Amino acid sequence: MRKILCFVLISLVCVSFVSCGVKKDVKEGKVVKVALVCPLTGDIAAMGQGMKNGATLAIEEANQTLKEIKFELLALDDRADPKEAVNAANQIVSDKDVCGVVGHLNSGCSIPASAVYNRHNLVMVSPASTNPKLTQQGFTNVFRTCTTDDVQGSFAADFVYKKEIKGVAIIHDKTPYGQGLAEEFQKTFQNLRGKVLCFEGISLGDRDFKALLIKIKGLNPQIIYFGGMYQEGGLISKQAKELGLNVPLVGGDGIYTGEYIKIAGKSSEGDMATMIGSPPDKLPKAKDFIEKYKTKFPDMDMQPYDPYTYDTTNIIIEAVKNIGQDKGKIIDYIKNIKYDGIIGETRFDEKGDTLNKEITCYSVKDGKWQISE
Amino acid sequence: MIFQQLINGITLGGIYALIALGYTMVYGVLLMINFAHSEIFMAGAFFGFFLLISFSSIPFLQNNLFLQLLLAFLISMSLTGILGIIIERFAYRPLRKASRLTPLISAIGVSIFLQNLFMLVVSPQAKPFPEIFPVKNFQFGVLSVNSLQIFIITISILLMVVLNYFIKQTKLGTAIRATSSDVETAALMGINTNSVISLVFFIGAGLGGIAGILVGMYYGSIKYNMGFIYGIKAFTAAVLGGIGNIPGAMIGGYLLGVLESLGCAYISSAYKDVFAFIILILVLIIKPTGILGERVQEKC
Repeated sequence: MRKILCFVLISLVCVSFVSCGVKKDVKEGKVVKVALVCPLTGDIAAMGQGMKNGATLAIEEANQTLKEIKFELLALDDRADPKEAVNAANQIVSDKDVCGVVGHLNSGCSIPASAVYNRHNLVMVSPASTNPKLTQQGFTNVFRTCTTDDVQGSFAADFVYKKEIKGVAIIHDKTPYGQGLAEEFQKTFQNLRGKVLCFEGISLGDRDFKALLIKIKGLNPQIIYFGGMYQEGGLISKQAKELGLNVPLVGGDGIYTGEYIKIAGKSSEGDMATMIGSPPDKLPKAKDFIEKYKTKFPDMDMQPYDPYTYDTTNIIIEAVKNIGQDKGKIIDYIKNIKYDGIIGETRFDEKGDTLNKEITCYSVKDGKWQISE
Repeated sequence: MIFQQLINGITLGGIYALIALGYTMVYGVLLMINFAHSEIFMAGAFFGFFLLISFSSIPFLQNNLFLQLLLAFLISMSLTGILGIIIERFAYRPLRKASRLTPLISAIGVSIFLQNLFMLVVSPQAKPFPEIFPVKNFQFGVLSVNSLQIFIITISILLMVVLNYFIKQTKLGTAIRATSSDVETAALMGINTNSVISLVFFIGAGLGGIAGILVGMYYGSIKYNMGFIYGIKAFTAAVLGGIGNIPGAMIGGYLLGVLESLGCAYISSAYKDVFAFIILILVLIIKPTGILGERVQEKC
């Protein structure tokens, strides 16, 4: 028995050595890695998997046209967990071939991980972390291609106030993203003299929100504003309507995904979400991307941040193409970049935030997210 | 509003109580905490999920809601029950003579194993549970109750009444009680304790499996790691009622559900899960034996 085990182990080791050898032989020329960190498993894996698709497309396209450099995607999983995010960040900075990081998705992950990248002077461009604090830390290596929660939260507050909604109940998930968004919404809504009836936190991963919703029902709000992700948002929308609390749920980009509608079912009808940027099918340059995405990943619905990840990956590729692998020079290059991509033109301000601050409001109609006027 | 919260709490409590029964029964006979029980509960939810999905494509069952549900419950209960027996046979029985800590570690190992196994099989993402019957709201004055809540409350009470009858009135129940009070003496009296222990695992796991389906139906979404928090809460319920005591587990479950609902409504929803742990700590400090528990005689 022991002999067989030994034999299996030794042959496994041999096979892995051989396959390593093969890998190097196949790739001639320089291999440059672009790291992507997002939740590939866990509660919000659907969004992370979509981002991986976006980055994969960008890398493949670059490799088709380039001869001298070979790009490789190093996709790591942070499970939307700050601890895992820092682990992944440490793994990335120890890899000399990595020249830039795309990620992370969650602000709660991006903020601690950005400190690790900063220590190693590695550029990080987040396509999806919207908490303002990320770029307020004074790190010169941190950029993002999505706009921030203060813009999004106050846009939502403005939007609902104009619809004659004067009383709202606010729920958030206590994460930097969810709570940050909810606070921005609250601030603007109160400045407009709207009434915030309650401001309550929930736990990530919780399934039962009925006790809270019964309490909110007694306050008679006209809408529920939710700062958080689709998993909890979908359940809140569903349970609210089951309790006879028939008001729309309004959320941010965290609930703007098909998964939300799957979870909430019919209850999602009329719910609204703000999403950064213009709708991708309205941008002329995105058409090509949408086509390619559909042929390459036929079984997956496109997630909201996939075009952003695609552009972000391309920004890093562009920098390496023009500048080489010097990490400091890449940061300088990206700082002054003017990139015309599928989400529109991306330029960064002195903090590293994008100057593209457009926001669109969507609502669920006939089981689909549609642009809401 | 307080009555509304009470109904919510009782629904939740019924589910906790069903899971807590599994902890308490196993503790009753083996004096160990079966930490893999939370994963059995999760497995029950997924068995129910796959059964109900496959039923909806069988023409014979398509229009018969009652039969679909009955079959889903029975098959899922048997499957989780068998899973319970398998776990006992391979992870706990070889360690029965070992020190008290060893089977506990084995239980945690089984729990991690099952969780990861399900993650690989069913994917890490949440699955929307099929909507079996349309949820109807009934309004009694200011109070609204929906059909699912009535269904869950009825099922959980019914199961507990049947279990209580089984334990108190039948011959097998007597054998369980005898084994529970002393395994060795029961064996000397001619009881096949091994099969009694298997039976206890079967019943406990089966009830946990049903609780899994109920949770799936109630919240409409299930996930591979959903067992953990329910497991901890049900364990708290079992300790609150007095671990090893069957009526105690039921009382503990309902009490915890109601306390959690009220705490969430009147204190803060941000600390919803904290209430269970505060209760657990308080019980351990003030009355470690729980509400109905008796002092366990230390065996020399």
